[in-house]
Amino acid sequence: MISRSLLIAALNEALSTGGDYAEIFYEDTDSESLLLDNGKSEPPALSKTSGVGIRILKGLGSVYGTTSDFSKKSLLSLAADLAKSFEGERTIKVETISKARVGKVNRVPDPVIEAPLEEKLAYLRKGYEAAKEYDERLVRIMASLSSTKSVRNVVSASGPNAIESDNVECRVRLSISCVASDGKSTETGRMGPGLACGWKECQAKNDPAEIARKAAKKAITMLSAKECPSGRYPVIIANGWGGVLFHESCGHPLEASATSRNLSIFSNCIGKQIASPIVSAFDDGTIGGAFGSSNVDDEGVGTHKNQLIKDGICVGYLVDRLNGRRLNMEPNGTSRRQSYRYAPTSRMSNTYIAAGKDDPQDIVKDTKLGIYVADFGGGSVDPSTGEFNFSACEAYIVRDGKIAEPVKGCTLIGRGDEVLMNIDRVGNDLDLGQGYCGAASGSIPVCVGQPTIRLKEITVGGRGGKLE
Amino acid sequence: MNVKKFFELAKERGITASQLVINRSKCSSIETFNHAIENYSIADNQSAVASGLFEGRYGSVRTDRIDQKTIPWLVDGIIKAAKANESGSGTDFFPGSPKYRKKNIYNKSIDSIALDDVLKNLYQLEEGARAKEPRITDFNASFEKVSSSSEFYNSHGLKLVNKKSSYYYVVALYARNGEELRNSDQFDFGIDPSKMNLAKMIDEAIKDVRSQFGGVPCESGKYPTVIKNDVFASLIDYVVSAASSEQVQKKSSFLAGKLGTKVGSSKLTVSERPLEKTPFFSYFDVEGVARYNKNIIKNGRLETYLYNRDTAKKDGVESTGNAEFSGGKIGIGYGTIFVKPSKKGFEEMIAPIKKGVYITSIQGLGTGMNSINGDFSCQASGFMIRDGKTCEPLTLITLSGSLLKMMEDIKDIDSNAVLGLDGISSPDVYVRSMSIGGK
Repeated sequence: MISRSLLIAALNEALSTGGDYAEIFYEDTDSESLLLDNGKSEPPALSKTSGVGIRILKGLGSVYGTTSDFSKKSLLSLAADLAKSFEGERTIKVETISKARVGKVNRVPDPVIEAPLEEKLAYLRKGYEAAKEYDERLVRIMASLSSTKSVRNVVSASGPNAIESDNVECRVRLSISCVASDGKSTETGRMGPGLACGWKECQAKNDPAEIARKAAKKAITMLSAKECPSGRYPVIIANGWGGVLFHESCGHPLEASATSRNLSIFSNCIGKQIASPIVSAFDDGTIGGAFGSSNVDDEGVGTHKNQLIKDGICVGYLVDRLNGRRLNMEPNGTSRRQSYRYAPTSRMSNTYIAAGKDDPQDIVKDTKLGIYVADFGGGSVDPSTGEFNFSACEAYIVRDGKIAEPVKGCTLIGRGDEVLMNIDRVGNDLDLGQGYCGAASGSIPVCVGQPTIRLKEITVGGRGGKLE
Repeated sequence: MNVKKFFELAKERGITASQLVINRSKCSSIETFNHAIENYSIADNQSAVASGLFEGRYGSVRTDRIDQKTIPWLVDGIIKAAKANESGSGTDFFPGSPKYRKKNIYNKSIDSIALDDVLKNLYQLEEGARAKEPRITDFNASFEKVSSSSEFYNSHGLKLVNKKSSYYYVVALYARNGEELRNSDQFDFGIDPSKMNLAKMIDEAIKDVRSQFGGVPCESGKYPTVIKNDVFASLIDYVVSAASSEQVQKKSSFLAGKLGTKVGSSKLTVSERPLEKTPFFSYFDVEGVARYNKNIIKNGRLETYLYNRDTAKKDGVESTGNAEFSGGKIGIGYGTIFVKPSKKGFEEMIAPIKKGVYITSIQGLGTGMNSINGDFSCQASGFMIRDGKTCEPLTLITLSGSLLKMMEDIKDIDSNAVLGLDGISSPDVYVRSMSIGGK
């Protein structure tokens, strides 16, 4: 998309005032989103995101600029404008560009976005039909399929030879949402599995009918749910998407963007115990076909399997290039961004608590009175205080070791450091769930994961009074 | 982009009616952290959304790459999208409203703000703040200036342009009291830099962070609850979203079937005012329909749903100028929202409360809100109210309720209205009873 000579010229312009690192990120991303709303296909959302982001670092100083104009004039002028914010003499002259070896974590021979529309609509229709047959109290069924093909190039220079990584990432997400109403109350149920894969694999791994029935079941179940009690109780969190609790409460505070500035509860915690000894956790951008995986990160660094917590001890952070300088740590392939419109920074990919030894059924059996969270809507955290919140979209009371009646309006709140120490059971049923994570560098696809876990006690918010 | 060529090619390929919206924006920002430049960024971006009717069906496509290949790509995209559209939505394009209320929101003085001067300002603010509150450990401040334009064209020959500019100052300060770290974010933004008050912004941030130290959860239960202006704004945002005619028609709104009825206390009036001179000003929607100011809820009564031309047609009414792009179709959006304040002060409003809770901050509403039935539960913090006065701070509590019940239970509203970055202006609101989760 950009000639080598122009890339070299723009890098040299960027480095003209003494910058010690310059990077040009350029992308061409096609997106398609199909939606069947109550069985009728809405106009598809087709879009192209295409532009250039130039970043210069000088010590701990960082400047970033973007343009959607790929012309020579535009790129050189952007690089020159950015360089003006530093004062100094050139220390680097870029002369050549070499290709980096890019991993093949995600191999996609048949991008979903390029598959025939009719096939994809027929696939969605299977989901719609299955949900429709599930229960007549479903008043609205939405089935959507979003796919992207993103050509992402990073050219970075910290010496005369710049390194270029060419990368193509393809992703797809099926989402089924059901709205159920019995005339008195209205509830929703949603499932949204995502993959970094092609059309054949998507169809083989995600059966829309099965996913639609799960979404429908959630909506119907919640119609009879009572209001969730409030207070402090033992809470069991189901495997898979339940890992969003770890993602928010502990993953974000382990990102170097927070730890490097002492703005995280986990700043200066390497080597210290931050979790119960039965907890180990990873961020792994190399899981083939996983929604959060990438062949290479958005700074051109190969993705890794990074251990964050080992037997309760903090052993690593998610480190990008700039914050790595602050921490005196090497970047570990975790720098990500939504698009060229965002400067990259440390972000999670596929983050999970490793499997433990407990049988999940035993965890429930050993709980006399508490809450079982089967699914979360999502949550958020303030990394500096560690205070987090999560909203459960499917939850139940646990009575005498059994999962009992469903409850709605359930929120869990707490502090990341406390919740990690409070995990007293870890199941052996690790699974991953998929979603989008929004933070400083935009909204990016991720997996969260965990086996079934139990928290000894956590604050539960709801309108149902005390749990009895 | 050559607009004329787009319409010519669209017609040539069998697109019977078409529309093009081109957005351009230029933005510069600078951010400091602990008296050093943290980041400087510039962005010069543009995007185009093209839509059209092909074989009687609507299709649309968006791109931010505008070059010689863009026009054929847009035309092909419209045809591809239209072929897959079974919904029957968007059946024609709009010839134009009789009158448009265009205003000048572009302020040259914003363009000429020098970032060197801004940097001095940011450093002075930090020095002043640290002198006032020595417990500040970290100080993050940023400034951004934006100028943007939106050009609308359609095959009826309608051409509309909205050009505007705005500035934003945001500070985040962190203070430590022993082991306890707290933070506060405050902002000052607008279209007229002569009206900015950065000293006030810093004073608010210091006051806010100081007040949070020592917070603990309260006992769980139901309390008379006062909701701070910006928190109530976040909640009312979901009420306005529920007034979307599209959600009502698709049985996905708790306001369905309630048009013309009481949905809240008579103290509550909520209006949409897209024509106010704010950074959110817009005098036409994405279908080219003139926007206008209107009450959505007046004295507790739901006055109107928000319509685009398509949903209006289904209900046999006129569009309310609320069309907005939503994925590949035309959805519903809204401009600046105002909750009507009273003349009462905050102290006067809370004076009758013997024991209650004052909620000053919520987190997690995005996932804690069921926007279809209006039930919500989220993390909150604030203060106890005892004998009509705010007392000890509260943290790690939850606020739960139903938007309809909350609106019905509004007992009082004060005069302290503030326009937030989300484009919603609200005063503080006193609700008779809400569920608080804590100990």
